[in-house]
Amino acid sequence: MTAASASVVATAIDPAIGYTAIALVTLATALIGFFAVRLSRTTSDFYVASRTVRPWWNASAIGGEYLSAASVLGIAGLILFEGAYGLWFPIGYAAGYLMLLLLVAAPLRRSGAYTLPDFTGARLASRRVRGLTTALVIIIGWFYIVPQLQGAALAMTIATGLPPWTGAAAVALIVGLIVAAGGMRSITYVQAFQFWLKLTAVAVPAIAMLLVVSGRDLDAAAAEAFPAALGPLAADPLAVTSLVLALLLGTLGLPHVLIRFTTNPDGAAARRTTLIVIVLLALFYVFPVIIGLLGRVHAADLAQPGTADGLALVLPGRLIEGPVGDVLTALVVAGAFGAFLSTSSGLVVALAGVISQQVAGGTVRGFRLAALGSTLVPLAVVLLIAPAGLAGSVGLVFAFTASTLSPLLVLAVWWRGLTARGAVAGMLTGALACALALALGLLLGPAGVADAQLPSTVVSLLTQPALLTVPLAVTATVVVSRWGGQRPPAGVDRMLARLHVPEPR
Amino acid sequence: MSESTESPRPPRVRVTAPRPGEALDLPGGDDERGPAATASRAPADAERLLVRSLMRSQLRVAIVSALGFVLALAAIGVLAALPALQSTLIAGVPAGWLVLGFAAFPPLVAVAGIATLAANRTEAQYRELTGADDSERGIP
Repeated sequence: MTAASASVVATAIDPAIGYTAIALVTLATALIGFFAVRLSRTTSDFYVASRTVRPWWNASAIGGEYLSAASVLGIAGLILFEGAYGLWFPIGYAAGYLMLLLLVAAPLRRSGAYTLPDFTGARLASRRVRGLTTALVIIIGWFYIVPQLQGAALAMTIATGLPPWTGAAAVALIVGLIVAAGGMRSITYVQAFQFWLKLTAVAVPAIAMLLVVSGRDLDAAAAEAFPAALGPLAADPLAVTSLVLALLLGTLGLPHVLIRFTTNPDGAAARRTTLIVIVLLALFYVFPVIIGLLGRVHAADLAQPGTADGLALVLPGRLIEGPVGDVLTALVVAGAFGAFLSTSSGLVVALAGVISQQVAGGTVRGFRLAALGSTLVPLAVVLLIAPAGLAGSVGLVFAFTASTLSPLLVLAVWWRGLTARGAVAGMLTGALACALALALGLLLGPAGVADAQLPSTVVSLLTQPALLTVPLAVTATVVVSRWGGQRPPAGVDRMLARLHVPEPR
Repeated sequence: MSESTESPRPPRVRVTAPRPGEALDLPGGDDERGPAATASRAPADAERLLVRSLMRSQLRVAIVSALGFVLALAAIGVLAALPALQSTLIAGVPAGWLVLGFAAFPPLVAVAGIATLAANRTEAQYRELTGADDSERGIP
């Protein structure tokens, strides 16, 4: 964001409100976190909360962890900035959990593994698969934390007028401390609280704004606010298909999502939890869509790359004057900060679990050190590079996950013929193809479209490559498993039985 | 776990961390699986066939449900793009935008609910076939 656009947005909010809201949500998070520390006693408390978490709590916690800056701020901003194309994002974010429910929820819980590398390494009896999965989990986690911290930087600037780095640094500091202190057990309660905070923070302002504008004549502004050029017909079907594929499949490979399923008591509970998550997400995503549509009518001036993501923060104060508007603004600021805190801490828990098991033998001390490391690297990245749109950057992480870990997980759960070589080939192919496409898209995309040198279809596929890279990764996995000269691991039948056979009643 | 999930709170279990490089002792050797799974036994062929048919049934549930949702999504995309819905305004918003913004969520919840029921039913049938209702986990 440029300094000028930041100040335009910043003047919209009274800094006192911003400080109060941020202080309150941080205090609440810290109190719940530190209270729960007293309950954290063992290593397994740290890693999976000793599997005592029940479906409603767990579903709220999964929702709280999943709803990131991209959901709370990014979707409304994208609808304002890109029009109807942005409406596909909430659908994909929510429907990713359907794929998770259908393909991996119960089997992963039954595997008994509690990190992704544990699962893939054990399923294929291969250290190499385990190591490569670890590397991918770390890369995906870091890149997913980056937009959270960027969102924090934006929200801090809008809410208080402080320079952007303070928001990123504050969130990184709080998350590192809470995770290092309490591990998974404290985080579960923090996350569950965060879901309901975030739902309130988008629902109450959205409903209040609907009530305020309901008396006005809105039809006159419709042609300008909802132009056909940005409408549902205008979106390139290929780009939409590729995006939806990335969002649908990407969710099931996200490390912070998967680790949560290991905290269910059994496979059926994992499925029930996922179903509740889908209901909660479907409820939540109604409101960012409302805010985005309202923004197209009432805040068209914010529809620029640097300011669109601030829409959800600024709009309540614009439409509703006086103390009520102030309170609603404070609520959204609190919810947005909640989002940065909860998603980042969920990711840090997942990363710290993976890293500390790989290098520190799974001790509590190793977990704490890894938690600090997992926070500092993304913070350094945020302080060095310029931010892009929140929902867009998260969408790229989904594409990368959908091209690497997701195909491997699905095949590992359902296909007996998968081999370690096939898994390695698939992960490498997906990762390289996806990274290459994204890099080419960034380099060639804007210029190529401007000069009409590249067809827009090619640019769409380079900037959102899942439609190419997912089939490529699956093909590489299957071909190398079949003809790569390696047999499936010896215990494969017993392993698959373990994944699919229901627990005794 | 041997006790019902409806008890007030499931007991805390200690989960042990595998060391890197050590093969994770998953098949049958884990601690929280109950006695049935702890003893590792050679899989009988009949049971292996049963497990395969269970997997096929569950995969069919997954694929049919996923296809159902994707078809619903495609229909919503086409419906939202109809020119007639761009000119019809509801509360100042073209109907096509509203369809795309909100119509996908009811089918999503419906498919998820049906798929959960179907998967649970498949597992119940498997339990009946193997007589695993009481204490024996049907694992070979």
